[in-house]
Amino acid sequence: MAVSFVILTNNPLVRDRYAGQYSVEYQEGGYMDLLVRVRDKVHAGHKLLTHPLSGSVKPNETPYKSVMISQKRGTMDLGSLSVIEEAITACRKFPVRYEGLPQRVLEDFQLVDFTLIDSAIPSASAF
Amino acid sequence: MKLEMGYINIHDIQFSNESKVENGVLYVDQDAVKKLVLEDENIKSVTLDIAHPGESVRITPVKDVIEPRVKVEGPGGIFPGVIAKVDTVGSGKTYALKGMAVVTAGKIVGFQEGIIDMSGPGADYTPFSKLHNLVMVCEPVEGLAQHDYERAVRFAGFKVAVYLGELARNLTPDETKVFETYGVKEGIEKFPNLPRVAYVHMLQSQGLLHDTYVYGVDAKRTLTTILNPTEVMDGAIVSGNCVSACDKNTTYHHLNNPVVHDLFEQHGKTLNYVCNIITNENVYLADKQRSSDWSAKLCRLLDLDGVIVSQEGFGNPDTDLIMNTKKIEAVGVKTTIITDEYAGQDGKSQSLADADPAADAVVTGGNANMVIHLPKMDKVIGMLDYVDVIAGGHEGSLKEDGTIEAELQVITGATNEMGFNKLSAR
Amino acid sequence: MSFRVVHYINQFFAQIGGEEMAHVAPEKREGPVGPGAALNTAWKGEAEVVTTIICGDSYFAEHEKDAKEQILAWVKELNPDLFIAGPAFNAGRYGYACANICKAVQDELGIKVLTGMYEENPGADLKEKVLMVATTNSAAGMRKAAPTMAALALKLMKGEELGASCEDGYMPNGVRRNFFEKERGSTRAVKMLLNKLAGKPFTTEYPMPSFDRVPPNPAVKDLSKATIALCTSGGIVPKGNPDHIESSSASHYGEYDITGVMDLTSDKYETAHGGYDPVYANEDPDRVLPVDVMRDLEKEGKIGKLHNLFYTTVGNGTAVASAKKFAAEYAQKLLSAGVDAVIMTST
Repeated sequence: MAVSFVILTNNPLVRDRYAGQYSVEYQEGGYMDLLVRVRDKVHAGHKLLTHPLSGSVKPNETPYKSVMISQKRGTMDLGSLSVIEEAITACRKFPVRYEGLPQRVLEDFQLVDFTLIDSAIPSASAF
Repeated sequence: MKLEMGYINIHDIQFSNESKVENGVLYVDQDAVKKLVLEDENIKSVTLDIAHPGESVRITPVKDVIEPRVKVEGPGGIFPGVIAKVDTVGSGKTYALKGMAVVTAGKIVGFQEGIIDMSGPGADYTPFSKLHNLVMVCEPVEGLAQHDYERAVRFAGFKVAVYLGELARNLTPDETKVFETYGVKEGIEKFPNLPRVAYVHMLQSQGLLHDTYVYGVDAKRTLTTILNPTEVMDGAIVSGNCVSACDKNTTYHHLNNPVVHDLFEQHGKTLNYVCNIITNENVYLADKQRSSDWSAKLCRLLDLDGVIVSQEGFGNPDTDLIMNTKKIEAVGVKTTIITDEYAGQDGKSQSLADADPAADAVVTGGNANMVIHLPKMDKVIGMLDYVDVIAGGHEGSLKEDGTIEAELQVITGATNEMGFNKLSAR
Repeated sequence: MSFRVVHYINQFFAQIGGEEMAHVAPEKREGPVGPGAALNTAWKGEAEVVTTIICGDSYFAEHEKDAKEQILAWVKELNPDLFIAGPAFNAGRYGYACANICKAVQDELGIKVLTGMYEENPGADLKEKVLMVATTNSAAGMRKAAPTMAALALKLMKGEELGASCEDGYMPNGVRRNFFEKERGSTRAVKMLLNKLAGKPFTTEYPMPSFDRVPPNPAVKDLSKATIALCTSGGIVPKGNPDHIESSSASHYGEYDITGVMDLTSDKYETAHGGYDPVYANEDPDRVLPVDVMRDLEKEGKIGKLHNLFYTTVGNGTAVASAKKFAAEYAQKLLSAGVDAVIMTST
């Protein structure tokens, strides 16, 4: 039985590719906004399922981020909280550099972010 | 397992009408190489160029760097499961062309990739400025998807490296070195008083442009396992990793893994080098838990006394690094880890995205956020137009006069986390 | 023309006397005194100590404000290229004085400063604010410390970029700097591992951020029978601050009786803390030290009772070593008084 999960994303490609297939919560905004939203969900008792700093493209160099969390809510998971807090701290040290990027580059960033989260799907669906 | 490495020193590369190695000069028949690359219908065209140490040349965007090798004796061939069949490699005899590399370049996506400057301040930070480089810039056919393009360029590099390595098959090496490790019981009997040491080698495994292949298998879909250290010298591990130029491990790094070589230096003298343990850096947190649990389990099972752990990449892998270290220390095996730092341009931020007091022995490859000024070069191989959006670059990084102001991140291999370089930080 | 340096030393290094002369007020003398000569030698004419300022360690500790005022006035007038203090080695109050006077000169006069001391000297708490050379723990290390300090001082005066801490000999100051090692990273890693395996000393190149984590005690079984004490680093004291707890870098803590006190009111209590806006704490000191709600809980029977003494200090810039010392002392008092648990409030 697959773990039921929700993908939080600000990446339109993730939203469109997974439409009707997986549960996706899309919100517009920057990399940091997405991390903060993930933290709010962790506070609310969802578990973090993927690493929020996935990918070697540095935070704020790409605007896109997709993170998988558990659909189920329980008591707040301290492990998840510490990972997302560390990620937010790490994100702060990178200045925002994605303003004014050409569409072609944005699309490449979307694709890479998509493949990062997509790499977690087989694992999340394995049991 | 025992491997004899024969080194053939190359001190020049020249284009010629026949490919051959003669008196330390590599002659390359451009047409033959192009024909080989263009066998792949996904590649529309390829341009070849040569860059020598000290020249005013900038190579960018660099995808991979590969050292040509040939399997002269023993089972299998170079790059098993990728170019050669999957037979287990790492024994017999292998020749390598030293002092040179094949560099693949090409704009796979509109960002990242790396810079190799052959002279000037940037050259101090990349080990590849010291090599004679045969550079291949591959253009894709129209409409080719990024991951197909990445794959095509990756294979083109390996094919050319194997083609060039083959030229050395009947030569006499300038230098020969023998590397041998033993079975568990055999090693204990041979070196009863030496500490048992292994190398925990973490592999980038997160998705497109973030992948590593072991005998052709995508490392994401592997469990933590054991390799004989000599297997990597025959290309058992290859890079499909294109992001974060400064701390990605190119295939050249895998073939010439410095941890492997330095452990062999001490093997039988101050320590007993048992094996390599390879483990991945997946995005899915439960995968991380499983992989790091297995690293610790294998360390215990092998009755190790100590390990060196090397990381690849930024952020997500910091968590794997700390999990591995904590768990391995917890089973009573001592660790030393190699990483690099993202301490901000001012050097004042916390360097890693994760930390633990158990990681008390750390070697660092330096702060990748350090700002560096690269002068204009007379010649650019590849293309410069993406430099503004390269990792560590920013809008305006590429100045009108051809100089570049960016972070060390842009330079291929600058803060390598296998400890390939002398760069460090305090 | 050589660079002009003002040197700060204590009564001992000025050969005025030891502890018995530690009360002497600041004085200034022309040219080098004591260790200043060693600095001059190392500078070979490129720089020289033009004035030496001498101050007793007790005087500095007990009259910090006056001492700083006097010294700053002199330094301002002399307007040197660099202000150098110590080295203090393991002398705690000397180290404290060196670090703090350097910080004042740097912050208030914008003059470059340098000091030196042993890494465990309490003054080294300021190592991220003031550049400090790491020395041995006794004055026998002067021969090694003086050239290191002199070389670093020259670099500062010439406006050259600092090297990494291990190259230039200063204590890691929270700023990571790149440099080229002699051996590659993998070789260093193998050596480090061999030392670790052999139980020999080794130095990590990146100390993990320090977590001084204290494992929590087991939970209090029955709160309704427990005696609970209140403690704070928020500086709540009886009005008038009878024990003169400093508004920053506190050197002691206070112990005050609240027998029968049901509520901390603004006419009887206030905060001594200088590191936050005191308006709300002074308006109602319960906001920092919640005596009122503790009395409620006492009345409701939720806790056994509130301990009749509270312990307080100011956390503002107070040395970690000092804070540890205070707590170790009053934790013993709490234990002997039969206190079961403590609520520690900060700001």
